[in-house]
Amino acid sequence: MKDDVLIEVKDLEVRFPIKKKKLFSTETQELRAVDGVTFDIRRGETVGLVGESGSGKTTVGRAILRAIDPSDGDVIFHTKKRDVDLGHLEGEDLRRFRKKMNMVFSEGSHSLSDMASDLLRAFRPRMSLVFQDPYSSLNPRMTVRDIIAEPLVAGGLMTDRDKIDKRVRKIAKRCKLNLEHLRRFPHAFSGGQRQRICIARALVTKPDFVVCDESVSALDVSIQAEIVNLLKDLQEEMGVAFLFIAHDLSVVAQMSHRVAVMYVGKFVEYAPTESLFFEPRHPYTKALLSAIPQADPDARFDPVRLKGEIPNPLAAPSGCRFHTRCPIATEECARSEPEWREVAPEHFVACHKV
Amino acid sequence: MLKVDNLTISFRTDEGLITPVQDVSFEVKAGRTLGIVGESGSGKSVSTKALMRLLPGNALVSPDARMAYVNKAGETVNVESLKPNSRALRQLRGGEIGMIFQEPMASFSPVYTIGNQMIEAIRLHRKASKKEAREIAIDMLDRVGISNASARVDQYPHELSGGMRQRAMIALALSAGPALLIADEPTTALDVTIQAQVLELMGDLQRDLGMGMIFITHDLGVIAQVADDVVVMYLGKIVERGATAEVIRNPRHPYTQGLLKAIPSLDTLHDRLSPVPGDIPSPTERPSGCPFHTRCGQMRAGQCDVVEPPEVQLGEGRAVRCWLDAEVSQSAKLEIPA
Repeated sequence: MKDDVLIEVKDLEVRFPIKKKKLFSTETQELRAVDGVTFDIRRGETVGLVGESGSGKTTVGRAILRAIDPSDGDVIFHTKKRDVDLGHLEGEDLRRFRKKMNMVFSEGSHSLSDMASDLLRAFRPRMSLVFQDPYSSLNPRMTVRDIIAEPLVAGGLMTDRDKIDKRVRKIAKRCKLNLEHLRRFPHAFSGGQRQRICIARALVTKPDFVVCDESVSALDVSIQAEIVNLLKDLQEEMGVAFLFIAHDLSVVAQMSHRVAVMYVGKFVEYAPTESLFFEPRHPYTKALLSAIPQADPDARFDPVRLKGEIPNPLAAPSGCRFHTRCPIATEECARSEPEWREVAPEHFVACHKV
Repeated sequence: MLKVDNLTISFRTDEGLITPVQDVSFEVKAGRTLGIVGESGSGKSVSTKALMRLLPGNALVSPDARMAYVNKAGETVNVESLKPNSRALRQLRGGEIGMIFQEPMASFSPVYTIGNQMIEAIRLHRKASKKEAREIAIDMLDRVGISNASARVDQYPHELSGGMRQRAMIALALSAGPALLIADEPTTALDVTIQAQVLELMGDLQRDLGMGMIFITHDLGVIAQVADDVVVMYLGKIVERGATAEVIRNPRHPYTQGLLKAIPSLDTLHDRLSPVPGDIPSPTERPSGCPFHTRCGQMRAGQCDVVEPPEVQLGEGRAVRCWLDAEVSQSAKLEIPA
């Protein structure tokens, strides 16, 4: 089992400096968006990442892709030949890696394609990203064909127009897009179709790993189910691993093999989907699960009452970060930080009371 | 308390006339919650904005629309015939019908304190001195669960967190003492734990104040927990209505059935989800006949795509707009043009 680990994240930390201007000086505070996160993702697996706004789940995803620089810790990408420690790549190596993973940021006009010459020597891209909002993440001035082809062109993977066309058509078909759609511009498409274009773009380079950051959250329920099914099918066909970030727990349950729960920059629980949803250990996971309203008039809706609000990560509580809202917190929880330990096979949790 | 009949709303746009709401009728009873469910573009928000006469200038409301509202004094007000900018309309907005929007940040003015904005609303609708109004505002903030209300009242909206802002929004809407509250996706932007808090709060307040409520959302889970009655909208039409428990347990319209099946559930973790096939048609290209026929698995060519199904009554307050049910109940009266 251990052999098919694709990405290993060890003690990942991401800190952002927050500058406060005073009259004569600037005060710098540190916001610990991600504060020591350890987990791994296997080949062809979906890891779900849930948490409320501000918990740092997007930052984890971006730090793995090196779209944000981690402040500390390792992100190890196991390739067939050798392991690459993404956390410590610098200078030329990082440049070369970025060419490899070839993330596609075409939000608005901010596109990697104008850096094409710098990316010519690229290898086979291995990582990609699907964004939340299918409206702002497609360049309105490019045809769908060009959007999907961009990772290939920007990474310098293919130069032959016919070959590119062939690859684009193949992936578009897999993502259930009509071939005549390829000549159109994004404005002509509905939300679900746009998200399929984003997925095609992310998968055109046949990556090993894709981060889906709230990729179905903006869609209507009837459409959302279709995208979830599509992602699952594509995973089966292409063996790609997903980091599936979302705040909707039932969608994450449907998508993922394993699920991690984040709270203010830390993992509180990480377990196979079934154990996490049916035998949650951490009180925060329990509270989250109880707060999902079920579309079933017979189901009793009795959410665990959490006091107060999600703490400001600039002033994270001492000890266990959840102790300010936890229904079973004791003095110990405020004093010392709980250890991250395996309570059952593959079931990790950080809580004094478990 | 509120009865809406034949409400049709059109917008003049560059692409021609679009009609996001067609022939909608519903009722709200005092002390009960009506849920309106629908996906984007189904016209759920637009139809409630019409109740407050908050539609933009390019909107046209059909002349035969009737919106009868029974106010606190027991008089019936015809909302559709009120003059714009009239005193009666101003009294209606806020004083009689309160509204909570999805984006609390967009509904507060960033340059005034929460208290300032609440006092203005209270003094507009109640006879109160500034000092009394401030007391009411603090009391209201306290009631919606904002800790340290007497200090919070002097803070600006940006100083509050998302959940707190939404609660302040509820306090603002309730401070003028409305008899009917329209909540337009009030919890969609909130995290689940905060959503649970806000839903519970709204339920408690409704019970205490005996308000009628219209709750608009796309989340059938939320509807199942808060609404007594529900109407399901698709492309501007009400396709199904009835008591919430009944509609969810025994949905009759293929769209409602599809929606319920598409929700991922923990009970069916390993099954494939069943999406509603196809996409929601754009408002400029409304399908002929039944609006849902382009995505319906039980579509009958020559009927569903040609003639619009009538609303079939299935019992008290329970109705569905579908040919499948129409055939059963009135097969004799069917007339399909060749």
